[in-house]
Amino acid sequence: MVASTLFWNLFDEYVLWSLFVGLLTFGWLFHHSFWYVSSEGEKYDNPDKIEVGVFPRHNDDMKLEVAWTILPFILIVYLTYISWAPLDAVWTSADGGMHGDECEEGQSSNNFLDSNSGAVVSECYHIIEITGKQWVWSFNCNPNEDAWRGDVLPDRGYELATDICDVGTIAIEGYGMQPLLSLKAGETYLAVMQSEDVTHAPWIQAIGTKEDVLPSQKTTLWLPMNEVGESMILCTEYCGDAHSIMSAGLFVHN
Amino acid sequence: MMKNFIHSRSLVVMTILIAAMVCTPLVSSFPTGISGVKDSGCNCHGATTSDSVTPMIVGLPEVYNYSEVYELTVSFTGGPSTPGNINLGGFHLWASEGELSVVDATVQQYNPNEVGHTEVGNDQTSWTVVWTAPATDRNVEMILHTNSVNGNAGDGAGSSGDEWNKITKKINAPILVLESANPYVVLSTLIIISGILLIITITYIFYRTNPDSFNWESFEPWIADWLTTTDHKKIGTLYFLAGMFFLGIGGIMALMIRIQLSVPGNDFLTQDQYNQFFTLHGTTMIFLAAMPLINGFANWMVPLQIGAPDLALPRINAMSFWLQPVAALLIFTGVFSGTGADTGWTGYAPYIVSETAHVGTTMWVAGQIMLVASSTLTGVNFLTTIAVMRAPGMGWMQMPLFTWSILVANLMLFLSIPAFGVGLVQVYLDRVIGTAFYDAASGGDPLLWSHLFWYFGHPEVYVVIVPAFGVISEVIATSARRTVFGYRSMVYAMAGIGVVSFIVYGHHMFTSGMSPTLRFVTMLTTMLVAVPTGIKIFNWLKTMHKGSLIYRTHTLWALGFLITFTLGGISGMFFPSMAMDLHFHESYFVVAHFHYVLVGGTVFGFFSAIYYWFPKMTGRMLDERLGVLHFLTAFISYNGLFWPMHRLGIWGMARRHHTYFISTEEAMGSLPAEAAGWNMFISISAFLFFFSNFILIANMIKSVIRGQKAPADPWGGWSFEWMTSSPPPTPSFPLDDLPTLRDANEGHIANEPSAIVRWFQGLMVLDDNEEEAGH
Repeated sequence: MVASTLFWNLFDEYVLWSLFVGLLTFGWLFHHSFWYVSSEGEKYDNPDKIEVGVFPRHNDDMKLEVAWTILPFILIVYLTYISWAPLDAVWTSADGGMHGDECEEGQSSNNFLDSNSGAVVSECYHIIEITGKQWVWSFNCNPNEDAWRGDVLPDRGYELATDICDVGTIAIEGYGMQPLLSLKAGETYLAVMQSEDVTHAPWIQAIGTKEDVLPSQKTTLWLPMNEVGESMILCTEYCGDAHSIMSAGLFVHN
Repeated sequence: MMKNFIHSRSLVVMTILIAAMVCTPLVSSFPTGISGVKDSGCNCHGATTSDSVTPMIVGLPEVYNYSEVYELTVSFTGGPSTPGNINLGGFHLWASEGELSVVDATVQQYNPNEVGHTEVGNDQTSWTVVWTAPATDRNVEMILHTNSVNGNAGDGAGSSGDEWNKITKKINAPILVLESANPYVVLSTLIIISGILLIITITYIFYRTNPDSFNWESFEPWIADWLTTTDHKKIGTLYFLAGMFFLGIGGIMALMIRIQLSVPGNDFLTQDQYNQFFTLHGTTMIFLAAMPLINGFANWMVPLQIGAPDLALPRINAMSFWLQPVAALLIFTGVFSGTGADTGWTGYAPYIVSETAHVGTTMWVAGQIMLVASSTLTGVNFLTTIAVMRAPGMGWMQMPLFTWSILVANLMLFLSIPAFGVGLVQVYLDRVIGTAFYDAASGGDPLLWSHLFWYFGHPEVYVVIVPAFGVISEVIATSARRTVFGYRSMVYAMAGIGVVSFIVYGHHMFTSGMSPTLRFVTMLTTMLVAVPTGIKIFNWLKTMHKGSLIYRTHTLWALGFLITFTLGGISGMFFPSMAMDLHFHESYFVVAHFHYVLVGGTVFGFFSAIYYWFPKMTGRMLDERLGVLHFLTAFISYNGLFWPMHRLGIWGMARRHHTYFISTEEAMGSLPAEAAGWNMFISISAFLFFFSNFILIANMIKSVIRGQKAPADPWGGWSFEWMTSSPPPTPSFPLDDLPTLRDANEGHIANEPSAIVRWFQGLMVLDDNEEEAGH
C-alpha cells in the first residue's frame, strides 16, 4: 500500500469533490427519471413542437448554460491549484531544491514531512543508479563515470555507507531470484536511470511513484524514503515477454 | 485487348509486391537462422556419429526457475580417448534459450547461447559451464556435441580416428508451454471452419429473405449485390455486422485474460500468450469493433438525417469498408502461428522495433496502415457529405446532433490519423528494411513514437466517444419528448472537445521523460476537458426537466450511459493531477477508467443506438422485455466487472502483467491478500457481462424472423430519418424530391447567420456569375 502523504492528501480531496459532483449528478438524474415520467395513455402537450421534418423549437436558457460552464470551471481551477504545489515535490531541482544538494560524506538527509503539503523536505540527497534491461532491474549505490554511457554522473569521491544503500538479492515467491535494494528511512535518494534495451519503468510501490527508463536518454526519479517496510518494485512500461515478473524487492530500514 | 494487357501487367506487379511483403519479414526472422549449429553440429571429428561415445550433461533441472543460475558439468565417456593421449576431447554446447557462460579458461564462449572448449580445454573429458535460465516461459532445448580424441593430432594425423556423438536435452518451463501447432494447419483449419459457418449463415439469411426462390439464379445476383454494393445502408449493415463480430472476438480475448487473472499466480496462459491476447484485445476493440460500429450507424443515419440520397462518394465508401476485413486478417495473421503482435495496442518504441517483439508485429503494423487508409477515406467522405449534401432548409445549426457528432469525430480523425500513419510506416520500415527511426543505438528517438501515437491516440478515443454523445442526445430528447436542452451549447461543447483533444495528449506521457514544461502544459489542458463534457451531462439532465419520459430499452441504456460515463469522467479527473498520476500510470486504475468511458460510454451509447434505430434499419421492432432483461443483466455485471478495478489499481496491481502475487505472512507480493478475492469477483462478472450480451443477439435474430412490423416513426423523433419508411427505400430520398426542413423557431435569433458565418459563407460559396467574371 502506498505510504505517501502527498498522494493520499490529493486523493482524499479528489474523492471528496468526486462524491460532491457524483451526488449532485446522480441525485438530479434519479429525481428527473422518476419525477418526469409519462403515465400510460397521457396526452403530452409537446411544448417544443416536435414534428417529423421540422427542426423543433429551441429549449435553452443562456443563464443556466453559462452557470454550468463557469461553476465546473471554477472547480477545475481549484483542483488544478491543489495539484500544482505537489509538482515541486515531483520535479524539484537537484541544485538546492526541496531536497538540497548532494550529501557530503557522512551527511544525512534528515527528512522532514511537511504535513500541510504532504511533501518531504530534506537537507541533502544521495545519488543512486537504476538500470533496466530485459528483464532484470539492477541497482548501483555508487555510480561513477564508468557507468554505462558514463557521461552525466561525476564521481562524488566517496562510497555510500551500506546502511544508507545496499544491493543484494532476494527470492520472491513466484518471481524467482530478484535484486534487492536496501535503503534507509529518513534519507532521500535521487535515482538516475537508464535502459540498456527498450523502455521500462520502475514502479516504487512503497511511495507510489514511477518514471520511464529509456535507452536514448537518462531520466531521474526522487525517492524520499520515510516509512520503514518491505515492498516491491515492478516494471510498468511494457517491455516484452517477461515484463510481468521483472521486479525487485525494496527494503527500507531504520 | 490493350485493356486486358494493362490489367494483367498490374496484376503481376501486385503479385510480386504482395509476395515480397509476405516473404521479407519471414526470411529475416527465421528463428534458428537458415542453418545453424542446431543442424550441422560442431566442428565434428568424423563424418558420422559413433555409438561408443556417450555425452552427458549433469546439473540440469527437469523444470527450471526463472533466471536461476545452474552449474553444469559436461562430459563424455568412451571412444578412443584414453588417459595419456596428447589431447583427450572437445565439446560444443548450444542452448535454445537462456545464457551460457564460462567459469574457467578451459571453455570459451562463441555466442550468448553457445560455448565450446578452448585450446587449453582439449586435454580433458569433463568441463564446467554456467547456464542462466530464461526469465520467461520457454521450453528449452540443449544440444551437446562431444569429440572423443585419440591424440594423434600431434603426429600430424589431424582428427582421423576420432569419434563423436551428440545428445539433446529438454528442460521444461515453470509454466507448461504447449508445443505450437503447425501454423499452416491452424490457419487453414480456421479459414475452412469460418468459411463453412459463413456459407451456412449467408445461405440461411438468403433463404429467409425469400423462401420461394431458393436457387442459384436468384442467389447469385443477391450475393453479388451485397459484395459490390455502394448503397450507404447496405455498407452500414456490413460495418455493423463486422463490428458486432469483432466485439465478440475481443470479448473472448478479454475472457481469456480474466481467466488467467482470476487467481494469483495462475498458469492458464503463458506470459507470451497473455501479451498477445491483451495486445489484440485492445486493437480489436478500438479499431475493429468500436470504429466499425460507429461507422455502421454513421453510414446508415447521416444521409437519412440530412436528407441526402446517399453519401457523396459511395464507391470510396465501399472501399473504406472492404479495407477493414483485409486489415483484420493481417492484424490476426501472427496469432495463427503463435507469434502475434505482443506490443500492447500502443506499440511503444523501441520495443516494437526490437528483435524481441514477435514477427507478427510486422503484419499487425501493416494491417493498421490499411485501417489508417480506410479511416482517412471515411473522413473525406463524411466531411464532404455533411458539408454539401444537406437538404434544403437545413443550415449547420439545424443538423441533428448525431450528424454533428459524426462531423466532429471525422474532423478529429482526419486531422490526427496522418500522424499515426507516418509512425506506422516508420515502424514498418524499421522492422522490414532496417531503417533506424526508433533505434536508440543508431540515434533514433523512441519518444518520437509516443508523440506521434498519442497525437493520434488521444483524439482517437474522443472519436470513439463523441458519436455516442450524439446518440445519447437523440435518445434522451426523443424519450423525454423535448428538444435537447441547449442545442447550440451541445454543438459548441462537442467542437470544444474536438479542439481540446489535440492539445492534451501529453497526459499519456507524464512518466515518459518528456520535458516537464510540456507535461505541465498538458496537465492544465487535460483539466479543461471536464468543462465541455460537464456542459453536455448537465444539458442532458436538464433535457428531462419538465419532459414526459417514456421508458423504452434505448432510454434505459441512455440513462445507464449517464451514470457510467459520469463515473468514468470523474475517475478521469484523477489523472491530470501529476502527483497522483505517478502512482496510477499503467495501473488497474487506468484500466478501470478507460473501460468506464469506452464500455460505459461508447458501447452503452451504441447499445442504445441499436435499440433506437434497429426498427428503422430492419423494419421490425425489437422485443422490449428481452431488451430490459439485457439492460439489467449487462448493467449490473458491467459495474461488478470494472468498479473493483479502481481499488486494485490503488493497491498496486499493474496492467499488462500476466499474473500477480498477493502478500501473505510467508511471502512478499505486490498486492494485499483481499486482491485475490476481488479478482475472482471481477472474472465472474466478466463472464456474466459477456454472456448477457447474447440476449441482444437473440433479440435481434428473433426480431428479424418474427418481429412486429415497425412504423415510420416509432419513437416520435423529428429528424428526416423518421420521415422515410422503415426500412428506407433506395435511394434513401429521391434526388428530384428532396425533403425540405422547416423550422419551428420562426424569427428565433439562432436562425440569423452571425457575422463570422456570413464571412465564412462568402469564402466557401463562389457564385456562378462571379466564377464567370473571374475567367
